[in-house]
Amino acid sequence: MTKRLKGTAQLVALACVAGLLALLVWQVAHQQHAPSVGSVAPAFTLHRLEGPGRVSLASYRGKPVVLNFWASWCEPCKSEAAVLQRDWASYRRRGVVFLGVDYHDLDSDARRFVSAHELTFPMLEDGSGAVTGRYGISQVPETYVLDRQGRVVLHLAGPITDPGFAGKFRDALAKADA
Amino acid sequence: MMLRFAAVVVVALAFAGPAAAACTQPRTSQAYLDGQVMCPTCHTTLDMSDSQAAVQIKVFIAKKIAACWTAKEIETALVANYGQQILAAPSHKGFDLLAWWLPILGVLAGALALAFGVWRWSRRRPDEPAEPVGSGLDEEDERRLDEVLARFE
Repeated sequence: MTKRLKGTAQLVALACVAGLLALLVWQVAHQQHAPSVGSVAPAFTLHRLEGPGRVSLASYRGKPVVLNFWASWCEPCKSEAAVLQRDWASYRRRGVVFLGVDYHDLDSDARRFVSAHELTFPMLEDGSGAVTGRYGISQVPETYVLDRQGRVVLHLAGPITDPGFAGKFRDALAKADA
Repeated sequence: MMLRFAAVVVVALAFAGPAAAACTQPRTSQAYLDGQVMCPTCHTTLDMSDSQAAVQIKVFIAKKIAACWTAKEIETALVANYGQQILAAPSHKGFDLLAWWLPILGVLAGALALAFGVWRWSRRRPDEPAEPVGSGLDEEDERRLDEVLARFE
């Protein structure tokens, strides 16, 4: 009786340890990383920040896409906003799509930000951070440039106004547009 | 950053004057909600963080408290914006229930194991040999031990 009980207790303890190990392995296997250059950007569908409706990244397949992750509480996003708007005004004639993804933000503050900086490109909201997580976003702003096939051409972790980033950004746009 | 938050709270409370009089229920506290809501970028509760995202939510909470919103209403608004993970405590449904029940089950299992162990330890087993009475030496050894000890007296 005692031996049987001891054996059962050992089995339960082993099962607990195995369960915890499996959880650890699952967690490590499901860690989210930024998509690398050349890989296809993760698909997503998000609500528009202003107005109803949802936008799917797949609907822009065939066009180069600039995907900018930002938040209203992010200081560097403010200085970047004017540059993005200017580039959008310049590149949209060439069929380049700019998409802003508002990350971990209050919708009301985000709308005020868009209005204050007179941003006119489509804005999407990712309050829960589910999509930004799949893009490995750890800070904002971050920007991805995708080519016509939806592949990543460039990933900039930081404002595109950073020294050295502006040149890379324009090179990537030219490459994505090719 | 803290100064900005403090300034906004002061302004919110200043405007709260007339609203406070109109509040029909006890006002919830900033400190309570700061302990219940997570900072989405740093994964700690708001009271542990001064990040920009946390300050933004603290300001939102301060404004809503000033506007007589209840804690539940504020939490609901935050969940609608950020998702369920904005709350420090897991929800009481679905998979999240495990987070509530597992610790209780663990404590119960531990208490049961302890009770069983005590019961077994206190229970005398019939096949267990009785504790030897006396020194445990046989007569011959006892006699020799007495002889040796007598030499020292």
